[in-house]
Amino acid sequence: MRTIWTVLLVVALGAGAACRRPPAPTPDVVAVATATLPGDPLDRAWQAAPEHVAALLLQDLVEPRLMTPSTAAVRVRALVSGDEIALRLEWADVEADDRPGPGQFPDGCAVQFPQKAAASAPDPQMGQLGQGVDITFWRADWQATVNGRGDTIQELYPNATVDHYPFDARSLERGSDAQRDMATRYAPAVGAGNVRGAWRTSAVEDLVAEGPGTLSPAATTVSRGGGVRTADGWAVVIVRPRPEGLSLQAPATVAFAVWQGGAGEAGARKMRTGWVPLSMREAP
Amino acid sequence: MARVHNWQIGREMSYWYPESRPEKQFAAVFDTNKCIACQTCTLACKTTWTSGKGQEYMLWNNVETKPYGSYPLAWDLKLLDMIGGSQWNGGVYEGQTIFESAPAGERVMGWKPEAQDYAYPNVGEDDCAGQVDGGAEFSLPHMAWFFYLARICNHCTYPACLASCPRGSIYKRPEDGIVLVDQGRCRGYQECVKGCPYKKVFFNPMTGTSEKCIACYPKMELGLQPQCFVNCIGKIRMAGYLSTPDKARADNPLDYLVHVRKIALPLYPQFGLEPNVYYIPPIHVPTPFLRQIFGPGVDAAVAAYRNAPNDDDLAGLLSLFGSTESVMTRWVRQGQEVAGVDDRGTTLVRVPLTEPVVERAAFDRVYQIMRHNCP
Ligand code: SF4
Ligand code: SF4
Repeated sequence: MRTIWTVLLVVALGAGAACRRPPAPTPDVVAVATATLPGDPLDRAWQAAPEHVAALLLQDLVEPRLMTPSTAAVRVRALVSGDEIALRLEWADVEADDRPGPGQFPDGCAVQFPQKAAASAPDPQMGQLGQGVDITFWRADWQATVNGRGDTIQELYPNATVDHYPFDARSLERGSDAQRDMATRYAPAVGAGNVRGAWRTSAVEDLVAEGPGTLSPAATTVSRGGGVRTADGWAVVIVRPRPEGLSLQAPATVAFAVWQGGAGEAGARKMRTGWVPLSMREAP
Repeated sequence: MARVHNWQIGREMSYWYPESRPEKQFAAVFDTNKCIACQTCTLACKTTWTSGKGQEYMLWNNVETKPYGSYPLAWDLKLLDMIGGSQWNGGVYEGQTIFESAPAGERVMGWKPEAQDYAYPNVGEDDCAGQVDGGAEFSLPHMAWFFYLARICNHCTYPACLASCPRGSIYKRPEDGIVLVDQGRCRGYQECVKGCPYKKVFFNPMTGTSEKCIACYPKMELGLQPQCFVNCIGKIRMAGYLSTPDKARADNPLDYLVHVRKIALPLYPQFGLEPNVYYIPPIHVPTPFLRQIFGPGVDAAVAAYRNAPNDDDLAGLLSLFGSTESVMTRWVRQGQEVAGVDDRGTTLVRVPLTEPVVERAAFDRVYQIMRHNCP
């Protein structure tokens, strides 16, 4: 009798576990409708979304090309709530590269959508003239800044010594406009209004493009996002406006890119996908 | 790739964009024989432009001792190795430029310096080639040698930095040929850092963009020479504008030195960029070494320079180096005097060919005292 109860218990536990098992991987990205979108890549709510494994291709279409493959695939889950979509990207990268420097490149990832829902999608490699793409980009060094890495050269090179910065002159009152002006004088990218040059408050950036070499910052960054280290790589969540045309009835498309900083990847040198179908469904 | 003409290598070559020369080209002549490696130029630039966060390691102007000095480390040797020798046939370069030898997937042949490569800006300083022992210092001419090579961005006619940038963030100003990184557009991919053979673009890790020498364009626009020129203690530098060889004017000081007298030569012309800083080669260095750095014109240049004391025009023009902050677009010798003149014909400065020598008497009659150092 005792044996029968034990067997029943095991079967019941097994069935329970089967109920909690995440949905099986899907050939496309399937975004599941949900009440709220998790911002944390480790949130259990992600288990509700099926995983799509997107194989990554070399960007070998335009110079400068990537000639040696690095990251093989990115695992993607998606959730939709109201006007927003959240995408969770996870990929393997044993070494975390989150420090910018000469010859040193940070890890990163990006999601890309056609700006307009149309019968024919724009060129997947950064869109094309008249058929632009919206991109949200996450970078490991921005994440490190958001996580609290300080704004000093010693944070990047602990043994660096600096005699003097002109904006530290005793004649300049701390925090005054005059001090800020002096600092900007020696930070030309900040002076030119380059959003990349400024101190970061977000780990992601919204961009637009109409073909290779045309990438520009969007008027404002409305997307949110953040990434964490996993046992063997990165998991990143990007929350952004729901792509035009995506509904329970109508699918859309999405593309992904991953940069492995340790392999010297930056800009056009990246692993990428073509357009991947993106559909939406109600939560089960 | 387009086909363009590069007069420094005496032939056509491939370049990423079609030939498009500016209305006038910013250029400079450095007389290596006069440089004392005081690094005043380096500091003049540093305090003016690169004293900010992320710029700590940057030297838009640096001075290295050849043969062993280099900043960043081995910048030239690495590339010489990569392009595999430099064969010249007279004035025609028969090897491959960095554009022609670009591997698949690349716009130019280059290499990426790392933080460590910038860590030794003074490596090899004052180290001479060869040993000085066994009383060798008493023999003349000395068999050991070194010289100082002052370097800034060459504001190349065919910039590799510009060709390398996939975003078109680098531009060459049509009005004066100065090459600039658009700081609003750069996204810090470091393709230009990799592409520039002279390693004169630097990545700023704090702003995430690449930065480079701007030829002090706010000064040049006012007719004033850049900071590293006017602060040069050795008076080795002259900035101005250079014509193409077919349009050379003998009364333009740079045209005269580069095209007419051919005593100032480009740095590593075999790389194929048509760099616009020209060097009067050091006269005491073995020619094979000089030929590798400055191309096939070194023998004639050294001979002409050695003869300058008997050559009033050359000696006169060389006396104008470091004589005024203003840009001299013309020069004229009148007897034993030379004058630097600007575009409007205004005389900016007059310099005698021979400085008057005043010999002071050992006994000062006014103060009734001996003026010498002996007790
Ligand atoms: S020296 Fe380098 S940075 Fe300057 S213009 Fe030439 S390629 Fe560009
Ligand atoms: S200031 Fe002039 S003399 Fe001194 S190191 Fe620079 S180029 Fe040479």
